[in-house]
Amino acid sequence: MTLLAETLVVNGLAEDFIAGLKQIIEHLKVKDIMNQDPQTLTPEKSLWHAKELMRLKKISGVPVVDDKGKLVGIVSIEDIIIALEKGYIRDPIEKHMSRNVIYLKPDESVQTAIEYFERYGYGRFPVVDEIKRVVGVITKEDILRGLLKWFSVVYTHDERRNNVLESEYYYRSLITGEPLDKKGADFAFEIDYSDVNLAGVGAAKLKKFLTDKGLPPDVVRRVSIATYEAETNVVIHSGSHGIIYCFLSDSSVKVRVEDYGKGIEDVELAMQEGYSAAPDYVRELGFGAGMGLANMKRFSDKMMIVSEVGKGVIVEMLFYLDREEGSKATQNP
Amino acid sequence: MTLKEVAEILEAEVLTGHDKLDEIVVERVAAADMMSDVLAFSQPKILLITGLNTPQVPRTVSIVDGVGAVIVRKNMVPQTTIDLAKALGIPLLHSRLSMFEACGRLYQKGLKPVDSLS
Repeated sequence: MTLLAETLVVNGLAEDFIAGLKQIIEHLKVKDIMNQDPQTLTPEKSLWHAKELMRLKKISGVPVVDDKGKLVGIVSIEDIIIALEKGYIRDPIEKHMSRNVIYLKPDESVQTAIEYFERYGYGRFPVVDEIKRVVGVITKEDILRGLLKWFSVVYTHDERRNNVLESEYYYRSLITGEPLDKKGADFAFEIDYSDVNLAGVGAAKLKKFLTDKGLPPDVVRRVSIATYEAETNVVIHSGSHGIIYCFLSDSSVKVRVEDYGKGIEDVELAMQEGYSAAPDYVRELGFGAGMGLANMKRFSDKMMIVSEVGKGVIVEMLFYLDREEGSKATQNP
Repeated sequence: MTLKEVAEILEAEVLTGHDKLDEIVVERVAAADMMSDVLAFSQPKILLITGLNTPQVPRTVSIVDGVGAVIVRKNMVPQTTIDLAKALGIPLLHSRLSMFEACGRLYQKGLKPVDSLS
């Protein structure tokens, strides 16, 4: 028994673990993990051509298809070795390819694929549609990669959420320390981090919301700019989803932006104007000049940021409706 | 100076906001490729000149309460950018001039920069 399995048994979790694993494998289909853009060859091409393709693409076998893309055979690296040995590498593929090809269908389960690998001992299987056109190739490596990917998705999602949820900051205001009722937020927006072009949609919505509430244009502008930067940071840096909350009071607007992402290693360094961890493509969007946190600080009256690597970032900003009144209040508490 | 005059001076194609060209008056101009700079130093009612052509351009102008944007030098402006400008009600112009020449021409005609960059 492996150490992992042993630990799980001790904790009484082994059954859960295996059940979970089985569920993932059952739900995962061949089409989810196959290579969807496989190399193919036509029968009149030479074995030498097949050898070059395998060498250049670092693959160990190629499906052979007719002019309509239908599977007619397969040529593997073993065929090439024999061809070199016997001196017929310049022959056309059709003369020597295996014609009795075992294949899989896109909707078959990964479990079936694993059984095929065990039963037939081949390194790869072509995947064909209902009229036998090749739509993919699946290898053992694809299965391993597919499973690992599924695990990491499940793992990071749960882990990150819990880390933030358990943190003491989660239900309290970072600035005033008072409990926060997030369900009672006046405005909430879930940030879509998957498309960088959508960065700023939440800030634009918040701007409209505050304008409709009749807040002074100057305040609306400050809140929108700072929120825009915070939202862009979530999209660019966190690699995870986030939420914008806004709370209104008679004297202030409070914005809180949370994400479940990578976190910031050194907040002090990140606060410095001109410091940026942004990748190059972000600069093409006009961000990533290291102004983000500095801009948030510039336009808000109070700002707090809490982060830990791997546990996400919480930024809270307070904007006084009347900046002079607000600063008096802080100077003479 | 109206936005219409700006379009003429810059030999710009009007992508959105045709109906507002005569009413919008431009006094101050900011030129930048970094949207964070625009957010940091802008003031309301500016016209933005930029070499960017992404949807972030109309979105930034909208957030800072600008009057419009001129995209310079780029060969084309993506439809997503144009659609967003339309949705946000931001007039968008496209000029083939370089940023330097676009700014130079407008400065010569008396347009002003944003207030001191403090």
